[in-house]
Amino acid sequence: MKLNRRYLRSIHENLSFYISSILLTVAALLMYFLFNIAGNAILDFSKVFFADHCIEDANFTTYMPIPDEDISELEKEYDLTLEKEQYINVETDGVTARVFKKTEKIDLYEVTVGEDIGSDDEIIISEGYAVNMNVAVGDRMKIGKRSYTVTGFFQRPDYLYMLQNVEDSYKNITTFYLAYMTDSEFDSLGEAGCRYLVRYGKEDADGNVGDNTDFRKKVHENYYMQSYTSAPDNPRILMVDMQAELFVEMSYFILAILPLVAVALVSIIISRKVKNEQKMIGTLSALGYKKGQLMLHYAGFAAIPGIVGGVLTVVFAALAAQPYSELGLQDYEPMRITGHLNLFNAALGIIIPTVMYILAALLSVRRLLKKDTVLLLSGNADAGEKKRKRILTSSKMSFRIKYAVRSLVGNPMRGFVVFLGVFLGSFIMLLGFAFFDSIRGMEDVMTDTMGSYEHQYILNELSSDNPYGGEKMLVTSVETETGGNITLVGTDADNPYLNLHDKNGDKVDISDGYYITSLAAFIYDWHVGDCVTVRSPLSLEEKELEIAGILENDVSAAVYMSTENAVKFADLKEGVYNSLISDVKLDIPKSKIVVESRKSSIGEQLQTMLNQMWFMIWLIIGLGVIICASSVYVAVNMMVTENRNNISMLKVLGYRDRKIGRIVLRVNHIFLPIGILLSIPAAYYACGAFYQMFADEFSMLVSTSIFPVSYVISAALTAASYFASLFLVKRKVAKVDMIESLKDNRE
Amino acid sequence: MFISLKDAVKKYGDGETAVYALDHASVDLEEGKICVILGPSGSGKSTLLNMLGGLDTLDSGELTVAGRKVTGLSADQRTDYRRMDVGFVFQFYNLIPDLTVEENIEVVADISEYPLDMEEVLSALDIVKYRKRFPRELSGGQQQRVAIARAMIKNPKLLLCDELTGALDTKSSRSVLQFIERMNERFGTTVVIITHNEAIAGMADRVIRLKDGQIFKNYTNEQKITADNLVL
Repeated sequence: MKLNRRYLRSIHENLSFYISSILLTVAALLMYFLFNIAGNAILDFSKVFFADHCIEDANFTTYMPIPDEDISELEKEYDLTLEKEQYINVETDGVTARVFKKTEKIDLYEVTVGEDIGSDDEIIISEGYAVNMNVAVGDRMKIGKRSYTVTGFFQRPDYLYMLQNVEDSYKNITTFYLAYMTDSEFDSLGEAGCRYLVRYGKEDADGNVGDNTDFRKKVHENYYMQSYTSAPDNPRILMVDMQAELFVEMSYFILAILPLVAVALVSIIISRKVKNEQKMIGTLSALGYKKGQLMLHYAGFAAIPGIVGGVLTVVFAALAAQPYSELGLQDYEPMRITGHLNLFNAALGIIIPTVMYILAALLSVRRLLKKDTVLLLSGNADAGEKKRKRILTSSKMSFRIKYAVRSLVGNPMRGFVVFLGVFLGSFIMLLGFAFFDSIRGMEDVMTDTMGSYEHQYILNELSSDNPYGGEKMLVTSVETETGGNITLVGTDADNPYLNLHDKNGDKVDISDGYYITSLAAFIYDWHVGDCVTVRSPLSLEEKELEIAGILENDVSAAVYMSTENAVKFADLKEGVYNSLISDVKLDIPKSKIVVESRKSSIGEQLQTMLNQMWFMIWLIIGLGVIICASSVYVAVNMMVTENRNNISMLKVLGYRDRKIGRIVLRVNHIFLPIGILLSIPAAYYACGAFYQMFADEFSMLVSTSIFPVSYVISAALTAASYFASLFLVKRKVAKVDMIESLKDNRE
Repeated sequence: MFISLKDAVKKYGDGETAVYALDHASVDLEEGKICVILGPSGSGKSTLLNMLGGLDTLDSGELTVAGRKVTGLSADQRTDYRRMDVGFVFQFYNLIPDLTVEENIEVVADISEYPLDMEEVLSALDIVKYRKRFPRELSGGQQQRVAIARAMIKNPKLLLCDELTGALDTKSSRSVLQFIERMNERFGTTVVIITHNEAIAGMADRVIRLKDGQIFKNYTNEQKITADNLVL
């Protein structure tokens, strides 16, 4: 159709509209693609890396060592792979090296940079630490009293998320690393700790490893299981796939919100643009153009921002896929992932917006074509709808206010676009800040909740005597019916280092029963008075607990009880303990310690986490600014176009551009405070829902907090985006030509 | 002279495709009179009106209105000129659809230094009963009276009317012209009307005929009649 020559001319005449619509499309879709690509890239990598390097299904420790010949027997009997692993923690100048003795069957390391060790003088270290601390191959590093040459860096599948202790909240990249050295050198380091790695038999159709109950029972009966951590409960392993799944889930969340909102916004704008063409549609209809031809013609207009936006999104997504995916992995060891956009997603990126925009245009044209051609020709097809503008006619208010009010009431969809833009922009920015501030707020909460101790030690044996000092506790873990893990803590009711209180802040006496923390209550939906069944991961024996009360503690899923109740529950001898807490460092032989942690390291971990969140926060803020500015710009731009004749008339009457700008452009100001105000509870709720959804995985229930400065910054950025858009549109007001638009009116 | 236009040139395009909307046109108009400018389409009527109203600028020549040199004014100064001295009435009224009759007039009163009394203007144009209505709720003739009221509220020195009866029936046209006449008499406003309609020339003090951008006739109407007697 010759008529389609209008397309290029339309782009030229409405360049700003097309640019804004395309920008909005790209901003919204790109976020979906990048999260989706990053998530799938990590999942692809972990699947292969875990399989190739024989990831463990579980690791455990026993009170009695399992002899090598028994290991072979157990492997045969239960059709599994079992391997002993020795390790030792060596602290040198405040940095802890966890040195492993090489394993042959499970959790195999891969040298990713440089070469493997060849002599006693050489070591390889974990790559994440090397990168973060600028260690180069060839450097000398001291472990204990000896120095070694670093010949390479490695990664191992059970340490892709580098937690010093599995109980830690966040990785330690500055004072903790892994190392391998020759066996003889390892043996010279001192008495090593020992644990067992196990890979169960083949997976069933659902991907579950076979029933391992008999094996675990046998190990416990013969060697007394001390700890048992299955891979799904091991955050060093779990976090990788969890991060990937989080990305994929976020991409679907984004897909459900942002592109749909962007598509809705652009669709509304396209509908209005089509409506503005009613004279043209009436004329073409009068000239004999068929409904189908007209619909096709206007579908073409709508397809332009969809196709161009989609193609640009695909191009950007393809270019950003790799760096963005790597960015998502900054918390992990440097995994060699490949982020790429597949053809299906690429096609989807172009088809979704295009189809939606075309549909919006088709619906508008179809609705207009149902109207009388004569009315269309006169541009009055929507005259009936204008009746609702008859408000404030008797009011004494200034005509400017009345103009603004009627403009809003008469054009609800246009106002809605502005509101949605402001609301979404502010919501996204505030949500970014809420994620950040909530974590910042947790440092104080955690420090306060955990009590006044600084050092905690988990020992590898049960003892009755305490020659080391500190407060004794019996710490163990049990499995819940739903498969989760929960810590049992037996302690004296008057333990001075613990802060056991209820939600009112009143101290709780735990001597008379089993008290769960508020995090455990939330995750497992347990209530006071409930009788819950738990299973010892060591003996696999099931027991029942009656919940006597809830302690206010959102940072640990645990059951607190008196030492007497704890030993009874675990069928242990009275007076035994396996954990000590103290406000000072205790002099306990390294070989007796399974886990040693400092409470202040939580603050450091959170700080590291916050530092690495900054980039993501700025990305989110940028997205908010783009969405707010683009939406406001297209809506106000549309308003200026629709009010061209009024603007022109005001100019003729002697109004200056600035004053006209104030009359016309301030119409939507009301949506700025409304959008910002409504975004506050929305962001608060969304952040809370997000952290609640992941409370189990994060092992804490992060309370939503937004600092006053964050409110101010996000409101200021939203307002700045809003006014920047108006500033740009202001030029358009200045460009309205008096004579041209009066001429249009004449026509 | 109240209006003095000397050797005015306005062309669109360049070279061979250049079109002269005003081709060395010169004219003088007296204060307080009604001047009707006649001419076929494309003769330069609207261009001349745009120049007189400070909506557009001349390529060359000189225009003085009420002692103020309009040529050479900056855009802001031209805005002031329109604001203080000029009232416009257009063929299609150009009222702001979202504002009532009263509010449309208020739009101008709001930026005028010495606006006339609203009630006086409303009653002079017999639109008091329509004051709360929106333009779409009025007939063409009524809308044009509102447009005249809007132009007159600032008590302009010069009232420019562009085909003000072009969209009206005979009865409404006569009524509108009567109001123009009344305004001219009551406030002493100089009125310039551009039109295709030869009959309107009957009510003019001065008639100017344009053709191809040039003034080919400029004469005083010796047989001026009132709008009541025009044969429209």
